[in-house]
Amino acid sequence: MAIELSTVRYRYAGASVLALQSIDLRLEPGQVVGVVGANEAGKSTLCLVASGFAPRVVGGRLEGSAQIDGVETTALRPHELAQRCGLLFQNAATQLSTTTASVFEEVSFGPCNLGLPVPEVVERAWWALRAVGIEELAARDPARLSGGEGQLVALASVLALRPRYLILDEPTSELDPAGTRLVADALVRVVAETGAGILIVEHKTDVLERIADRVVVLERGAVALAGEAAPTLADPRLAELGVEPPARVRLERGVRASGVPWSDRLAEAVR
Amino acid sequence: MELLGRWVSRQFTTRVIVMMPVAIAINIVLGASVQQGLKLPIYLDSIGTILVGVLAGPLPGALTGILSNLIWGYLIPAPIGSSTIAPFAITAGVIGLLAGLWGQLGLFRPRHGRVFSVAGAVVAVVLVGALALYTYSRAYASPEQFAANTFNSSDAFDQSRIFFALVMIAYFTLVAWAIFLRREVGAVYAIGAGLVTGIAAAVVSAPISAGVLGGVTGGSTDAIVAAFRTGGDSLYQSTLKQGLLSDPMDKMITSFVVFFIIGSLSRRFVARFPNGEKAIEGAPEHEPEPAPESAS
Amino acid sequence: MTEPGTAATRLPDYVVRRPAGFYRSANPGTKLAVAAVEVVAAFLLPGWLGPAVVLAAVLATAAIARRLRGLATIGLAASPLIGSILLINLFLLPGASDPIARLGPLAPTWSGLWFGFETTARLLAFSSAVALVYLTTAVDDLLADLSRRGLGRRATFVVGAAVQMVPLTMARAGEILDAQRARGMDTEGRFWRRARGVLPLAAPVVFGALTEVEERSMALEARAFSAPGRQTLLRIPADSPADRALRWAALLALAALIGLRVSGRLG
Repeated sequence: MAIELSTVRYRYAGASVLALQSIDLRLEPGQVVGVVGANEAGKSTLCLVASGFAPRVVGGRLEGSAQIDGVETTALRPHELAQRCGLLFQNAATQLSTTTASVFEEVSFGPCNLGLPVPEVVERAWWALRAVGIEELAARDPARLSGGEGQLVALASVLALRPRYLILDEPTSELDPAGTRLVADALVRVVAETGAGILIVEHKTDVLERIADRVVVLERGAVALAGEAAPTLADPRLAELGVEPPARVRLERGVRASGVPWSDRLAEAVR
Repeated sequence: MELLGRWVSRQFTTRVIVMMPVAIAINIVLGASVQQGLKLPIYLDSIGTILVGVLAGPLPGALTGILSNLIWGYLIPAPIGSSTIAPFAITAGVIGLLAGLWGQLGLFRPRHGRVFSVAGAVVAVVLVGALALYTYSRAYASPEQFAANTFNSSDAFDQSRIFFALVMIAYFTLVAWAIFLRREVGAVYAIGAGLVTGIAAAVVSAPISAGVLGGVTGGSTDAIVAAFRTGGDSLYQSTLKQGLLSDPMDKMITSFVVFFIIGSLSRRFVARFPNGEKAIEGAPEHEPEPAPESAS
Repeated sequence: MTEPGTAATRLPDYVVRRPAGFYRSANPGTKLAVAAVEVVAAFLLPGWLGPAVVLAAVLATAAIARRLRGLATIGLAASPLIGSILLINLFLLPGASDPIARLGPLAPTWSGLWFGFETTARLLAFSSAVALVYLTTAVDDLLADLSRRGLGRRATFVVGAAVQMVPLTMARAGEILDAQRARGMDTEGRFWRRARGVLPLAAPVVFGALTEVEERSMALEARAFSAPGRQTLLRIPADSPADRALRWAALLALAALIGLRVSGRLG
């Protein structure tokens, strides 16, 4: 029961260079794996490949094995992929279906597409809204939400398909700190409520420090570093890989470098 | 029958389905802005239609055009909404259909100044010129389909020749700019396609305009219709002449804009559309043998 | 995955949204059928009496449905057009030889006035017939009804999304136009300057919209949009026997009109 990428190499259609060089990755339910790396390191491509959208939806050529719960992603059709693995992007507005007048209907969009009976659609919608913690937004107009609220609605919309895994590509990059906190809280809640496995690409390493169990660092389409979240995020090689370490790590380094003793109480104060 | 079904569904991928509302919105917003804001005697309400037609095929193109007009006419509230636009849905459908044909023929592919292409461009220019002249003469010699009236042949002929010359001057100016300044030979084909589309649009629109609206649309082209009518043309003829002045120019400009847009979009984006391959310069890249090369 | 707890399984009221009021609560398909008959009648009935009758019927319906003000707004918006039609035909109807008066070189004619009047009546009749559908039906309800009758999810999406996207794109274009004006683009003034202003306006609007297409289509796929089979409809607009009867009547009227016209009885 996992998303398993084994020696995956991927090339976009019409491209001459590999976007992913040779990736091995495993995501299990209930786990949160963070992905960091410089721009053009292949993070977005990794999201598409791990969810099966590449090559199934966007074309391109995949070598190696990308499996979701033991089934090759190339053998699944897009709507089957969507029910196994949810995919979220940066911009909340472009993820709206623009055909619905309320958040409730927006969240029901996925189940309605599957042709499920109305009672089941309704049940799934309420369940997804609760799992993300946004029942009070149900009556709102999707076009008039803040960035953070919009991302939560997108999360609920995708959750309504009951995927076992969620892949998020920089979900907070267009959000202010309040919105970022909203999304991070919601993700923690979703993992607790649903047991989903989450793969999240983030520049904001503070978020990953808070919610990730493991962290993978990509460089030029390959895995440069991987390991448990805390030690990996404190790894000194992060900077040359184009990743800014979390604030706490930077503070600790700075404090130690200036000769002041560092204690865990300081760490707690920053959290 | 099954082939037909497959041909139809091949053109309506999810990407196309998503692009259509965007294209429809572009049509309506630009068309309304030009009509009410910039007040130019051209329409500029077909950019989305031609774009979809070229990239996705004749059916999506035609549907984009038809739906744009219907939605603009009936589903958008005034002041943007305008019920006089809706009857021209047929014209819009024809425009989209033709755009699909041009896309299929690869007429919107960027072709940088290779000698063969330049020669081909010259041939294309001559052919389009000849076609234009021929169509023009047929259209202007057509018998009155509506009320018989004082048809002053020599006057009307001279007037029309002047306006037609204006259209051809605009065309050749755009072409010259494209070829000599930008070495963009492909633009010639696109603009030529626009000219043909414009003539077709005018011919299809004239009876609609005359029959439904008495030749008046409330736009700035009405002044042109009135001018022709003082010259003694029948309703049909004056709307046709107004159309032949505005439509070819409008479609030439629109086609050129679409060509420019497609050329500016990333290859990756364009390639994923049903007819996308035909709008990209050069042959599609073949995948080299997989080898563990590092990205530079 | 945890099991859902005891959940509210009722469809919320704001989703169900049954419209109320005369004609407004009628089935959207019925309203479309009625409008179709009215439009065809406006064109096939001769002279100006036919269109006038249609217009009267539409106005009466609008009045009872309390949508008269909406129609008035549309009429107002169409007044420059109507003025144009009347003026141009009044003075410029070719072949007219019954002048009302002679004002120097201009000679307004009775036939011109009549023709203008007829055209205006026809235009008002068919516009208001269609506008009435728009004024008494929400787009969602219309699409829901058409879906129920078999309109595919793709067509429903295209129309629904297009309607929502127009105001969004308009707002974006407005921002761009303001920004361009601030940079000195001409929106009045001479023809060539105005023509040059077109590309700087068109380009950002178009590119902005197109760059979203990729992500929007992936978001749709992520919501199982390309799943096979029929989409579930959360709301189905009501359909009563009265609606069905009215639709049949409309169909018969349509057939009658066309038949009469084809056989020459309507002139």
